Amino acid sequence: MTTQAHPRASAQRDRKAVRTRPASGADYRRTFARRARRSDLMVMALWASGAAAAALFLASGGATQFSSLAESITSVGILAGLIGTDSILVMLVLAARIPVIDRTIGHDRAIAVHRSLGKPALYLLLGHGALLLVGYGMAVGINPIAEIGPMLSLPDMPLAFIGLGLMIAVVVSSLVAVRRRFSYEGWHLIHLLSYVSVAFALPHQLSVGGVLADGSLQRVYWIALYVIALGSIVTFRFAEPLVSSLRHRMRVAAVTEIAPGVTTIQLAGNDLRTLGASGGQFFIWRFWTPRTWWHSHPISLSAMPTASSARITVRNLGAGSAQLTTIPVGTRVSIEGPYGLFSDAARTSPKLTIIAAGIGVTPVRALLEQSSFAPGEATILLRASAVDETYHWDEIRAIATAKGATCYSMVGHRPHGVDSWMTAADYERGVTLQSAFPDLADSDVFLCGPTAWLDLIEADVHASGIRPHQIHAERFDW
Amino acid sequence: MRTRAILGSILASTSVLIVGYQAGVSVTMSDGTSLSLPVDAATNGTTGSTSGGTSTSTDGSGTETGSTGSSTPSTGTSTEGPAASGPTDGTYTGSSVSTRFGNVQVAVTIAAGSITDVTALQLTDDDGRSIQISNRAAPILRSEVLSSQSARVSNVSGATYTTDAYLTSLQSALDQAGV
Amino acid sequence: MRRAFSTMGTMASIALPDAWASEITELQRIFRAIDERYSLYLPDSELSMIASGRTLLADASATLLASYARALEWRSATGGNFSPHRPDGTIDLNGIVKAEAIEQAGEYLTAVGCPQWSVNVGGDILVSPTGGATPATASAAPLVPRVMRAGIAEPLSPTELLCSLKLRHPRRAIATSGSAQRGDHIWRAGSTGPVSFIQVSVVANDIVTADVLATTIVAGGEEVLDEVTDRWDVDVITVDRSGALRTTPGLLRALSPTA
Repeated sequence: MTTQAHPRASAQRDRKAVRTRPASGADYRRTFARRARRSDLMVMALWASGAAAAALFLASGGATQFSSLAESITSVGILAGLIGTDSILVMLVLAARIPVIDRTIGHDRAIAVHRSLGKPALYLLLGHGALLLVGYGMAVGINPIAEIGPMLSLPDMPLAFIGLGLMIAVVVSSLVAVRRRFSYEGWHLIHLLSYVSVAFALPHQLSVGGVLADGSLQRVYWIALYVIALGSIVTFRFAEPLVSSLRHRMRVAAVTEIAPGVTTIQLAGNDLRTLGASGGQFFIWRFWTPRTWWHSHPISLSAMPTASSARITVRNLGAGSAQLTTIPVGTRVSIEGPYGLFSDAARTSPKLTIIAAGIGVTPVRALLEQSSFAPGEATILLRASAVDETYHWDEIRAIATAKGATCYSMVGHRPHGVDSWMTAADYERGVTLQSAFPDLADSDVFLCGPTAWLDLIEADVHASGIRPHQIHAERFDW
Repeated sequence: MRTRAILGSILASTSVLIVGYQAGVSVTMSDGTSLSLPVDAATNGTTGSTSGGTSTSTDGSGTETGSTGSSTPSTGTSTEGPAASGPTDGTYTGSSVSTRFGNVQVAVTIAAGSITDVTALQLTDDDGRSIQISNRAAPILRSEVLSSQSARVSNVSGATYTTDAYLTSLQSALDQAGV
Repeated sequence: MRRAFSTMGTMASIALPDAWASEITELQRIFRAIDERYSLYLPDSELSMIASGRTLLADASATLLASYARALEWRSATGGNFSPHRPDGTIDLNGIVKAEAIEQAGEYLTAVGCPQWSVNVGGDILVSPTGGATPATASAAPLVPRVMRAGIAEPLSPTELLCSLKLRHPRRAIATSGSAQRGDHIWRAGSTGPVSFIQVSVVANDIVTADVLATTIVAGGEEVLDEVTDRWDVDVITVDRSGALRTTPGLLRALSPTA
């Protein structure tokens, strides 16, 4: 058992007992197998929910409603509406930051799936509207445009039209090309309209939706879906962070510049060990000063919290983060989290390889502090372009020494004209991943750093042939 | 692991779809057992037009949309394969199906293996719109009131009587008889 | 027992249990009071005073204004097919006050606890709620509640019955309106063509509704018939100029001679 020079976090929310020895390879494989099973079940649930939406239609006798062209078009329109709305509800669940989803696939992957569902969901909903206008119009012998009038006279339909309009605005504003024009907060404000859109669409589904008729099982199931989706949002995105912030009462204790453009913010609060953060996880921070209260920042802890203090390190990357460097001491802080799979909980293999560059050392510093490994099982590589980017390296080296991990450093610029993550000097010497990390195949590889550099090293690691689930990359750009 | 997710998703989705499809095509017999009604070619037109009739009458008004979906299962218009051995003759009551405007329930009479009559048992009963479907005054034959003409009555209703007209009226006769 | 007497320009026929025979006096008083207030044939009735301009409508009694307001509500509800206004603008509440009188008589009889009764004024009939919630009084001899059966007169020969039907609670009011006997109080909204129906009988839960809607359907014809059955919870039987009949399903069921 290794002795620790740094205080460890006590039992975390998702651990059953404090580990007294590093887990064996078998333990990690088991944990990983369980996580993989959960992840597969979630994927199955996602697809099955879409099938269930279609099954609602079939259970109402939908299979027989394709007898004429008008009826077929109407039926496809109804199906599109059901599946499209189901997709939207799934998207809400993915964005709700539910702990079990974060523990299984990580919040960033959940958001990636959320994003990928956006356009298909919108197309389904637009198809729903268009096909029903065509189908109902055809049944009565009028063109789709003329059918808009009668359709608007149905109960709750005007609201539904408005809801669809809002959803179009939300999805369009999230297209990469359009999103760039907004500040994050501006875009996020528009995105919140999606809640309004979902709420506006519900009444017409329950009142004129034949599939969801009063008293039917279909209606019960549908309402349950809404309860789950909206309930998750309210619980995990609003209620839980609020309770957590009120409980821990964090305030800014000290703001120190430790390198050009890099600041650590020391925070004071109550019961910070019960935050349940694993080393490498991040929180979403909100600092309550008049200029900064509406910005939220995802920032990793750069050290494991003690009972009454925590630390984050931020780099001056733009207007938002620049303001953080001038926050007065005593500012109240509210938090959402912890989130992220960049931690010991994601381990799948007995050995550990950590490669961090620049500001990427922050989660790595916390990860190292908490990670369990035997001496000789962990290798760390720290990368910086210049000496003034080597903040926290001293702490990392100290932890490495104490825990018996090997620590390399690479300081210098990239080779000219070559896409490499290494320094020019090491590149010329012929350093490769394999030469630096002989145990790469048996390791979990944790990577963190600026996006451009991260892309290069991640590609290199993939090319080395290790399995994708062994690679953990923390990106700061979502 | 990804293969497992893909296969599992296909399996789960297919099962869900099959369950939904089955739920939509079964018809409950009046004694509670489940039966899928085969419909032979001769009655296809009748049942087809029954459900088709419901669709067009509501679509015709241009306002009741999407409410017909749930009423078809009771009439069993889905064909479930050849009518090898049809149901026994008799009247079968479909399950009561909820629609936006209330409950719909129909009974089907089978004679000689084909559907001979479809009767509406419940044709909605909430709010004014649904009464529209069920309470219209329809033509009847004189013969249908014949039997009631000879029943004993205690009052007679007619368009306003003047006193003279009353004297020759039936009511007067009733009053004299002290009924 | 049954008593018949003339009132409001027509005949009333009231059936009461023998023990309640004395209540006839009160009923006659109710009808007389209404007649004296609303009859346009009495020059000194309140309505005549208003019609001739001797009294302003604004100065009318609360009772008359209430009846007038009720008639106006029905005018709106029926889109003008029922109207308390004659073409020359005179307020003629004849179409509603007869029914109101029957209604009041029924309320009185129910209030004093009479278990079984029927009130027939000019062919509009209201019966007690059979098997219903009339307050039982200790002195009342227990009567076997029986479903009252009413006949409808054949429009062109009123000594014969067109049909008969059960008046089973809640459908305990029936009113018949027709042009066979020249009901002058039917003022049709803007139409001078021949009527579609020569007789319409409406069976409803209350007598005012039955009476107003019967008048409405005669005035408005076939399209109004459908509208009325769509919007109100009533049963209808109509006779058209050729003698053909139309009934609502509920009325068809009520025809059955078996109880």
